[in-house]
Amino acid sequence: MKDLLRTSTSLVEGVQNILNLQAKIESDASNKYLAMAAWLDRNGFENTASYLYKQAEEEREHFLKIFRYITDMGGIAVTPSVPEVQQEFASFREVFEIALQNEIAVTHAINKVIAKCRAENDYATEDFMMWYVAEQREEEKNARRALELFELINENEATGKFELDVQIAKIGE
Amino acid sequence: MCLFRLNSIFLYHINFIRMALVSDLTTKVLFETEKGYSYQCDLTNSIIINFVDTVSSYKIHDFLIFQKKVNNVDILNMLYDLSDQSDAQLIETTKRNFSRNLTICEIVQLRELLNGTKFTLNLHSMLCNILNADLV
Repeated sequence: MKDLLRTSTSLVEGVQNILNLQAKIESDASNKYLAMAAWLDRNGFENTASYLYKQAEEEREHFLKIFRYITDMGGIAVTPSVPEVQQEFASFREVFEIALQNEIAVTHAINKVIAKCRAENDYATEDFMMWYVAEQREEEKNARRALELFELINENEATGKFELDVQIAKIGE
Repeated sequence: MCLFRLNSIFLYHINFIRMALVSDLTTKVLFETEKGYSYQCDLTNSIIINFVDTVSSYKIHDFLIFQKKVNNVDILNMLYDLSDQSDAQLIETTKRNFSRNLTICEIVQLRELLNGTKFTLNLHSMLCNILNADLV
């Protein structure tokens, strides 16, 4: 009797499920950045708004990369539902505090995927996910740098907010 | 006379093939319950489900999606909802090769059959993996 499960996909169910979960996390992250960008735009922070619009697009690319990997490996990719995301923020600074918290949560999630791959001896997926490890290192560094700029530039001074808007948008250039 | 003989040979062969197919089928039955059974067809690489005399055939992905869909039916909600429309639910699969209004009891029975089938597929895959590893 043929092994239909193995011949149809190289992903075991556990890895497929956690990859679908990771795809959803990346998709949600894209929506969160989009809401943040819109808030910044509404409040006059044009440069940082553009920076976060770009981040939203990047997160969507991350989501699609996993989504396509699942189907390429013969698995079943599940289109994630779109949950409600936070639309309003208390301050300019809070946007970047939340952004860092989100990036830390994504890093934890990626580590869990890799741990699962190792437990299931799925080295191909582990190799695929290593790209995300490097990417997350960069994302966290950038999010931390944004908060660091809030320490260096006093947002309550005359041109503080304006300067922060310019400098944060330059992160990662 | 010659025609009669040819016909006999033909019938003999047909019966032989049918017997072989039935024998093959019995060895590939994946799971069986009071309400139905499932088996694997290696010729078409599909899973065939016979549930309360409804026969449907699935490629492995469609089968897994179907199984997940049936498992996701909120039976508790159906039990507590006293409206008539909650007595049964329409269960449809991809490509619509199964489309039936099932009662709560039937959904539980279908779940048993599908989950049992999935268990056998997993077990078979696991055994193949172990046996192949020994061969290498």
